[in-house]
Amino acid sequence: MDILDLSIREMRQALEEGRTTPKELLEKALERAKKDDCNAFESILEKEAYEALEGLGKNSGPLYGIPYLTKDNFSVKGIETVASSNILKGYRPLYDATVTRKLKEAGAILIGQTTMDELAMGGTGMSGHLGYTYNPYDPSHKRMVGGSSSGSAAAMAEAVVPFATGSDTGDSVRRPASLAGLVGVKPTWGRISRYGLFPFAPSLDHVGYFTRYVEDAALLLGVLAGHDPHDMTSSHRPIEDYAAYLDGNIKGKTFVRILDIEESLSDKRLLEALDRLSEELIKRGAVIKKERFGKDLLESLYATYIVISCAEATSNDANLDGIKFGPYYEGKTYDEAMRKARTAGFGELIKRRFVIGSFALMKENQDVLFLRAQRNRAKVVARLNELLALGDALLIPAASGVAPEFEAGGDKLSDEYLIADNHLVLGNFGGLPSISLPLAFENGLPLGVSLTLAPFKEGEMFRLASVIEDITGLRGLSVLNRKEGNL
Amino acid sequence: MNFEAVIGLEIHVETKTKTKMFSSAPNVSLKEPNTAVTYLDMAFPGTLPTVNKEAVKNAIKVSHALHMEIDRELHFDRKNYFYSDLPKGYQITQQRRPIGSHGYLDLRTSRGLRRIGIERLHMEEDTCKQLHLSDYTLLDYNRAGVPLVEIVSYPELRTGEEARLYVEAIRNIVVYSGVSDGKMEEGSLRCDVNISLRPYGQEDFGTKVEIKNLNSLKNIEEAIEYEKKRQASLLLLGQEIAQETRRYDESRGETVLMRVKTDAVDYKYYPEANIPPIRLSEDFVKKAIEETPELYDAKLDRYVKMGIGEKEARIILLDPLFASYFEGALIKEATPKEVASFLIVEINSYLNKKNLTIGQLPLKPEAFGHIVAYGPKHGLTHQQTAKILEECLNSGISPEEAQAKLKIVALSSDEGEVKALVEEILRENPESVEAYRNGKDRALGFLVGQAMKKSHGKVNPALVSKLLQEGMK
Repeated sequence: MDILDLSIREMRQALEEGRTTPKELLEKALERAKKDDCNAFESILEKEAYEALEGLGKNSGPLYGIPYLTKDNFSVKGIETVASSNILKGYRPLYDATVTRKLKEAGAILIGQTTMDELAMGGTGMSGHLGYTYNPYDPSHKRMVGGSSSGSAAAMAEAVVPFATGSDTGDSVRRPASLAGLVGVKPTWGRISRYGLFPFAPSLDHVGYFTRYVEDAALLLGVLAGHDPHDMTSSHRPIEDYAAYLDGNIKGKTFVRILDIEESLSDKRLLEALDRLSEELIKRGAVIKKERFGKDLLESLYATYIVISCAEATSNDANLDGIKFGPYYEGKTYDEAMRKARTAGFGELIKRRFVIGSFALMKENQDVLFLRAQRNRAKVVARLNELLALGDALLIPAASGVAPEFEAGGDKLSDEYLIADNHLVLGNFGGLPSISLPLAFENGLPLGVSLTLAPFKEGEMFRLASVIEDITGLRGLSVLNRKEGNL
Repeated sequence: MNFEAVIGLEIHVETKTKTKMFSSAPNVSLKEPNTAVTYLDMAFPGTLPTVNKEAVKNAIKVSHALHMEIDRELHFDRKNYFYSDLPKGYQITQQRRPIGSHGYLDLRTSRGLRRIGIERLHMEEDTCKQLHLSDYTLLDYNRAGVPLVEIVSYPELRTGEEARLYVEAIRNIVVYSGVSDGKMEEGSLRCDVNISLRPYGQEDFGTKVEIKNLNSLKNIEEAIEYEKKRQASLLLLGQEIAQETRRYDESRGETVLMRVKTDAVDYKYYPEANIPPIRLSEDFVKKAIEETPELYDAKLDRYVKMGIGEKEARIILLDPLFASYFEGALIKEATPKEVASFLIVEINSYLNKKNLTIGQLPLKPEAFGHIVAYGPKHGLTHQQTAKILEECLNSGISPEEAQAKLKIVALSSDEGEVKALVEEILRENPESVEAYRNGKDRALGFLVGQAMKKSHGKVNPALVSKLLQEGMK
């Protein structure tokens, strides 16, 4: 096993014991990054990374010398950051996102920026300006890694670095994590500052991240969480010692399975693995409850999400007019210059989303579309809270199955699509902490399971997840470090 | 047919704060273009708004002065539209829940006391300043994000005079509360007028016209009066009023068409998710109200009660710095009326002559008060005191020194002493006395002159005159 395949704790130990150096970690990470053939990278920041290494000095932060990757929608001072969109070509932020700053202060070394669905809109990894991002588990490049945090997921599955940042508005960290055999985390809304994260839909946007170990996920939240005076929605709650929750004790803990989500699945292997997981959890003293969410509500998730997220996006991206940054197009009037920039700068999918969002916000439609979606969101959240009152966590398959092929059209109105592939948005509607992690393998492709908890129960989330990780045996997973798992 | 004008006003006030409404850039008006700008003001991706507490306090102060209900929870919304002066492509405002609502102002108009209802006061941010040149436009982001309050009246104003008084009253409130410098000519207080006409007795409103770019109180009144006539003459000819935006051309004294309004723009308002609802504690609201300085009307009342004429009081209150100078000069020994009089006449004329503002006056207010008190205390006339004041201003010396330098001598007002002198004069000038008694008033002046001469100018001429007249009865 290579040093890069270890957990962050183990790497730190190796560093302390002099078995490796930050320089060696960096060299190895860059070497693996350059081998990427899945279109995971917007940039590999070799020069900047070596500069950062030199600037490390006596930094003894919790991530001292640990290389990492960032999704291309986190502001990095002085480095072109474009959210995989042509409209931002050439844009070099003047400031660091709070996440970027905190990681720097913790001693982590940024080695590159990862591809994504354009402006984080999309869940396929097909809409970024550099083309498709592929799933490393399928060398034939027929399968998607999911999105929108596509490149972060792909690079993490290639074990380039021990962690990578992502953003999660619907499921943009957790679903790709599931398709790429990773741990994907999205904490409570407000737990991590969004300052410097290019917005998609602020009421749903979360900073999230990928790791290959649950313990790394717990460690990272301790670094990233906390109130930020730049973000009024960031919480003042104290940061916890999340690693302290990893005691393996789940006696009396209750997992709630959602039957109407499971019934929408056709993947037998997935359900079987979930059952086996449940049995193992029970053996360790946990309780499993089976409940129904309400099919009507579940079927409304996707439409509700599309209306709210597109409406917010059309406003958030109105700053992209080619005047202040990004490519400028000549025009006799502001209108002409703005239209030219937006016509040339945005992909087709984005434009479609803006039309939907704008339509939903129009005075004559707002009540039946935007406000109705908001009311429905409130209903969904109320139901979520009822279910969370019955136990500690919702235990749900993270996706409908393994990574789909790019070409597989699929029926967008089937329950499998509407429910099984969209339920992760529950965590965004409620701003709830949610994690996905590997469950099992099917024909060499990973399957994932998710946990969703009440607000600010991240510590509990990591405790439960680490037990699941222990049961599945799928720790530190990557294409270089394949395992079949216990389920 | 007789028409009644229905007028509503929207007033935007730039409020004074250290930093902008939602960003940490300084809120300054006079600075090199594009130097008071931070990331949010240029809408860089990922920037987030943070609400300025001082701006909220300002809004509370004005809301309170306008007798409004103050919402104890702040909510912000986005107003979406594309325009060159709007960096984010939306403006953060308060559409659903303005901080202030349902207020009023009482105006003393020529039609009597009128209470004008005010619908709402909300906080928002200003846009870029634009400078349109022949084939391009320059943008100044210094103004982008400057805190504004917008005050919207109910359509309850009826005349140009009422509109002028309404704006004047609001200006006085924002200026005296320290919330804004309220300068219409510089755009820190901007007023848009909505005006329509309807036959007396009709309930429904006519088609309204908006008038923009009104940069003085006088222009507001004149524009409205002109617009009333213009619309009335159209209506009398049976023509329709077009829904349009006009501006006031000061030189022609007319409103001029700017643009015809087509369908109203849909601003697609929706809640701002980056600012959570903010609960205002009672304490915060109370403190904001308590720390509001005394406002114009209260000062006016107080000045009049001190014995100052209303006209004089209003002159002093034209400028809050002037008023504060006045109040600083009110020492125990000086009568407010005298202080007001010296301030309005002597100090003003000195300022005009030297082209100075009250803030640049080389005399502290208390020192000024002492000079005003010095005259009466030393038996000097108003005129003598004025000379001493002038000397103090010019040479920076004390009133004692000024009196010595100018060789000003106190005039005797001792009645016994003056009476003896007067009797002497009457005895010595029987012809003049005779002439006076025969109706020749001029003789009195001659006699006063004689008395002054005899006493070497050391008696109070007013007293001499009074005693002479008594003696000749």
